[in-house]
Amino acid sequence: MKKILTSILIIGLAAQSCTKVNENVYDKYEAGDFYASPKGADVALANVYSQVGGNWNGVGYAGADNGWYDLNAMSSDEQVIPHRNTGDWQLDFAQLYQRQWLPSMGIISNTWNWLYKSVYTANLAVEQLEKAKADESKIAEAKVLRAFFYYLLIDDFGNVPFYTDNDITVDKLPQADRKVVFDFIVKELTDNVDKLSETKGGVYYGRFNKWAGYALLAKVYLNAEVYTGTPKWTECLAACNKIAQGGFSLHPGGANGASPLGYQYYELFGDVNPTDETILSMYVTVDIVSRNILTIRSLNGPNFQALFGYSGWNGSIVPQEYYTKFDANDIRRKQFLVGPQPGGVDYSTTVTSLDAPGAAPNEGVRDTKFVPAVPMNGGGASNDFPIYRYADIMLMQAECNVRLGNAAAAKPFIDAVRQRAGLGALAAAPTLDNIYDERGFELNWEGHRRQDMIRFNKFTLAHGFVPAVGDFRKLFPIPTGALDANKNLKQNPGYN
Amino acid sequence: MKHISLFKYGLTVLFFLCATLTFAQKSQFAGKVIDENNVPLPGAVIRVKGTDQATATDANGAFHVNSTQQAIVITVSFIGYDVAEKSMIANQPLTIQLLPNSKSLSEVVVVGYGTQKKSDLTGAVTNLGTKDLNPGPITNPLQQLAGRAAGVSVTQTGSEPGTSPSVRIRGITSLIGGNDPLVVVDGIQGNMDLLNQVPPSEIESVDILKDASATAIYGSRGAPGVLIITTKKNKAGRTSVEYNANMSVDAIPKTLKVLNADQWWEQGQIYGVPASANHGSSTNWVDLLNQTGSTQNHTIAFGGGADKFNYRASVSAILQTGTVIKSNYKNYIGRIQATQKALDDKLTLTMNLNSGVNDANYSPPTIGRAAFTSNLFSNAYVSRPTDPVLNPDGSFYSDPNVFQYINPYAVTQTVVNKTHVDNLFGSLRADLQLYKGLTAGWFGSWRRVNGNTGYYLPAASTVSTAIDNQGIANISNYHQDEKLTDISLNYKVDFGVHHLDAVAVYEYQSQTYNGNFAQAKGFINDIATYNALQLGDLSKVTPGDISSYKNDRNLVSFLGRVNYSFNNRYLLTASFRRDGSSVFGANNKWGNFPSASLAWRIDQEGFMKNQNLFSTLKLRGGYGVTGNQQGLFPQNSLQLVGYAGVTYFGGQSITNFVISQNPNADLKWETRKQSSLGIDFGFLNDRLTGTVDVYTATTDNLLFNYTVPQPPYPYPNIVANVGSLLNRGLEVSLAYQVIKNKNTTLTLAGNASFLKNKVLNLSGSINGVQLNTDYVSWGSNAYLIKGRPIGTYNIIKHLGKDATNSETVVDQDENGIIDQGNQSPDRVFEGSALPTYNFAFTPSFSYKNFDASMVWRGSGGNKIYNAIRANLSYFENLGKANVLENAIPLGLFHSQYGSDLWLEDGSFIRWENLNVGYRIDTKSKYISSLRLSLTGTNLLLITKYSGIDPELNVSGNNTSGVDNGIYPRTRTFSLGLNVVLK
Repeated sequence: MKKILTSILIIGLAAQSCTKVNENVYDKYEAGDFYASPKGADVALANVYSQVGGNWNGVGYAGADNGWYDLNAMSSDEQVIPHRNTGDWQLDFAQLYQRQWLPSMGIISNTWNWLYKSVYTANLAVEQLEKAKADESKIAEAKVLRAFFYYLLIDDFGNVPFYTDNDITVDKLPQADRKVVFDFIVKELTDNVDKLSETKGGVYYGRFNKWAGYALLAKVYLNAEVYTGTPKWTECLAACNKIAQGGFSLHPGGANGASPLGYQYYELFGDVNPTDETILSMYVTVDIVSRNILTIRSLNGPNFQALFGYSGWNGSIVPQEYYTKFDANDIRRKQFLVGPQPGGVDYSTTVTSLDAPGAAPNEGVRDTKFVPAVPMNGGGASNDFPIYRYADIMLMQAECNVRLGNAAAAKPFIDAVRQRAGLGALAAAPTLDNIYDERGFELNWEGHRRQDMIRFNKFTLAHGFVPAVGDFRKLFPIPTGALDANKNLKQNPGYN
Repeated sequence: MKHISLFKYGLTVLFFLCATLTFAQKSQFAGKVIDENNVPLPGAVIRVKGTDQATATDANGAFHVNSTQQAIVITVSFIGYDVAEKSMIANQPLTIQLLPNSKSLSEVVVVGYGTQKKSDLTGAVTNLGTKDLNPGPITNPLQQLAGRAAGVSVTQTGSEPGTSPSVRIRGITSLIGGNDPLVVVDGIQGNMDLLNQVPPSEIESVDILKDASATAIYGSRGAPGVLIITTKKNKAGRTSVEYNANMSVDAIPKTLKVLNADQWWEQGQIYGVPASANHGSSTNWVDLLNQTGSTQNHTIAFGGGADKFNYRASVSAILQTGTVIKSNYKNYIGRIQATQKALDDKLTLTMNLNSGVNDANYSPPTIGRAAFTSNLFSNAYVSRPTDPVLNPDGSFYSDPNVFQYINPYAVTQTVVNKTHVDNLFGSLRADLQLYKGLTAGWFGSWRRVNGNTGYYLPAASTVSTAIDNQGIANISNYHQDEKLTDISLNYKVDFGVHHLDAVAVYEYQSQTYNGNFAQAKGFINDIATYNALQLGDLSKVTPGDISSYKNDRNLVSFLGRVNYSFNNRYLLTASFRRDGSSVFGANNKWGNFPSASLAWRIDQEGFMKNQNLFSTLKLRGGYGVTGNQQGLFPQNSLQLVGYAGVTYFGGQSITNFVISQNPNADLKWETRKQSSLGIDFGFLNDRLTGTVDVYTATTDNLLFNYTVPQPPYPYPNIVANVGSLLNRGLEVSLAYQVIKNKNTTLTLAGNASFLKNKVLNLSGSINGVQLNTDYVSWGSNAYLIKGRPIGTYNIIKHLGKDATNSETVVDQDENGIIDQGNQSPDRVFEGSALPTYNFAFTPSFSYKNFDASMVWRGSGGNKIYNAIRANLSYFENLGKANVLENAIPLGLFHSQYGSDLWLEDGSFIRWENLNVGYRIDTKSKYISSLRLSLTGTNLLLITKYSGIDPELNVSGNNTSGVDNGIYPRTRTFSLGLNVVLK
């Protein structure tokens, strides 16, 4: 018996020494320690910008597919990817274009999830920068980024969950009224934009400096009537005028053999967005930071192969009624490919079907606004994407003036944009329709069109293949997945 | 088992010595005892009937008995063999052949941290001996088990060389992984890949622990069941040299029927395919990629020993050539096992050393166009029959007008996909007898796996990404280190009618995984393939081209078990295990796993003495709790920051760090509570034997990636313990010995299992906040839905087609909109992806030296979403691809739905195996036994399923039940040879 007890004792002692079951982490960092390090807060801020760049699976502002850009561009009148009668392309894009989207559509939930992950990263950056007592311009930058994401949220979804502190549970996260979030955005921006750096380009390339901050504020005011019922044209104009103090000008547009498509204008959409006109860029180097698929997605395989050495995806086209509005002399019309092209394809302006049986392979006008910049490959090119540029601001100045009843003051702004494009000045003081159309010519494929169509009350009207739809389509539905996960959310009207 | 036979041998010798002293010598009786292979059996016990006299055979199987009688009757017994009774006449030497007892191998069952007599078992355990295992061209031990045990479902998807079947014991216990049973090979615990290191012909027995009362002793790793493999040991005092070989030819019994060139163009003209898409050739891509494969299996095993020492060593080679060209697999395994006794036989040391090398060339598993990716072979169905294989200049044909065209033949000829895996494991067991009945043991095992994969995708492969990048080469390395040590105390005591066997164990396990990956792109030629990444264009390096990882986990356990029997009739087993695992939240590391089971051997009762109907009757019942942590990846409880590519900030591209997951600090053990009731019976002197088991098991605190709301969570899922699963089942096995006489045996055996599972709940609260998880996509159109089986099909119903030949479907809610969202009212429930029953019929027959056996098995109650059929059925694709012959009558041009048109019944019956063998009597000086066998596998498949084979992934994971195209399953014919040298 003694032996038994001794044995048990020995085993017990041996066992006692090895009862630790702690978790070891070798290939990651513990969040608390990491963000507390001197570089941690900066890294948190840089991480917010990583959310802006486009990535597969519907992440990012623009550049890749199935995300915010596609949701907002394909639902407008400027582009669509038809289903092809060769079996290519899913119907989502044609459904978006024809305003047949359902709350279960993947592109809608991708956009929602991307924006809320972005809000989370911005909240984290604000928290960490404040904890680290970082430079106030950096804290302001993180807050402006957060406001940017909330602006995109209310623009697409209306009343949305609103929070600024990540340490929260869903039961304490109400769906805020669109106006409440609007007020927050305005306050956050007016409190912070002046703290932002005034530096253009350099270390601020692709970041919110003071001018980009005002551009965002101007956009928010521009659509205030849509968001809240109360217009803010004066405030918008004031914000635009602030930007003008940043020393921006229209980039030259004229013919130049070395420029993409033979015009300096297209340098605006090249590898690096020129900072004379561009206010905020999304930086792209394909496969390293983001990507830009806009041109390769549009051109047919052999055509892109012949021009750039990779197989095109034969996707997005410019609808006939949109393309035909462009003036023959407009240098902005050079971006379109129609008729016979290298690689033995011949693009028609007319499209016979968007869904069943689908368009024939070479139907539809193609777009090369973003003439692929190297490095490029079959998964996209490296053109940076202009989020805000001065031509947009000038057209906003024109619009505010017209809306404030001062059409004469509006004319120089719109004329400058037209003249840069090789067109003449308007014969008369601009109307809202002139501005709406000019925005379409100048800013197509840059992600602004849906918002513009709604603000100009054109969104629900019939055009081409698209029938008129109800007003409720001006908002996207809250995605089914979000409603299922959070029973407190209320669906937007018309989608139940 | 080893120790027991040694022990008995020793005792018998002692007994013999005593006996010879007692009796007077008169007449001499001499004889020899041999086994079924004519090999001498040393240590067989000879008893003279009617006396106390006994002896044992020597190393040559010889024995001598002295008696005062002129004729005696002796009984000869040896563990694992039927007792023989023979008459002997003085001075007439007799050779006695013993035949393996049908029940012999079942006498002792390995139950984890010990052994038990089968008659003493209280839990549900299936024991399979060598002759219960499927014969033939076996490359993985699981193939030997298919159809052999009720409640154990072995599923092989296709026959790609080097791929393993999956096995599920009593259904799906978990959703996060951890449904693979624990594998224990001679005490070494591991995951399923451990089986690759076990030479199939070296398996002595397989014990399958099915219910919680049996598996709870393995605690955290026991929930999905335990496969215990015991390899062959050398029999004490015997020298053996044995060669086993099996060589097969492997062919594909069925491929999908696609259009030939004429049919394709005929349809092409109907559907308006432009003539420019017809390239005028007539190519059968399927035949081009297909070849007759072969499987070879060679093992040479030898062993020997002396009084206190014995060993067995073997070298095996498993060599496979696939039925898809350029796919093959080689597995070489060397093992040595040695036992030494010391300290006056009180100390027994057992060492195992196993080393293996696997080399494989795999057929690319996911390749194709954006619209359809599958394994390479399935791409042969997609290729147009009118496309040539080669261009006139001899290069591989490709069509620039087809987006991401691939030429599957070019892929076979140019893509390199090699995997090398080195496996090493060793163990040492030391058992020391401390005191009468008290033994202390120490066991340590260490397993190390080093894997290396090289992949080269050259531009010549015609794959578009390879063309874009001018070749892609990568190398990945992985290392696994798994250590286990335990200290045990075992105490056995008998007092009166009480028998007690208790064991206490402390165990420590640690597993470390690390590896790295490197990739280069842009090669000026394809000569070096992946062997010199630096020859690529380093300016093309992008984030993700270089990476490495390391993680580990450890598990500490205290466990104890008591087996108590009263009067050999009432049996009790109780066990308790406490496990601590590193992968849970700081306050939830430890879990307790108790179990208890009872058995009543009714046949031992007095009132059963006067009946002849029941020869065996035992009732068993038990309850146990087991846990799951092995399926859970480490570090889910922590908030971590990790790599997320590159971001542009401050005028430069910098590394992007991101919160990598939704952490859950409360992560805890998933537990499975199982109740089980069983009955073992034998009628008519065990001519008819059988077992019936019923069980119900509930998995609580179900580990799963639950849906969380965004916002506020940055990611859509969190690993948590919220839901629960229910499994219920019934298992029946029966065996009937129709004929059993000296020359002939005929046994009809079979088993069936029925199982039902249900997702009880997926929603609950975490941190006091309600989570709503339901309708989780779990396969193609299959979901996890509260109150329904795992993988329930919730699918749009096919209606017909419209004027454009586009598919139309039923608008269930008649609102004019077909919503394909997960919870859409337009979807309807139509069965589930997992079979609800499995069955097998395993008759065997022998006549003198001839033997034959068969395995028929099947499963059903499940549906299959035939995605590859859908992909190959739309005529809009005809201009760039081929379609199936059976798509012609459907005449569908296009569909935007994945409807139930493609949902098919997955039931099947397969004639899995037919084996005939003949033992050649030999008088050779060198050969003691020679046996030849012929085996056919997969001889017949009866099913309504229209695809290649309905045996698809039913492992319960989120790709279960869908047929995206498989590597073909082969039909094989093989010749086996077994030679035992003298």
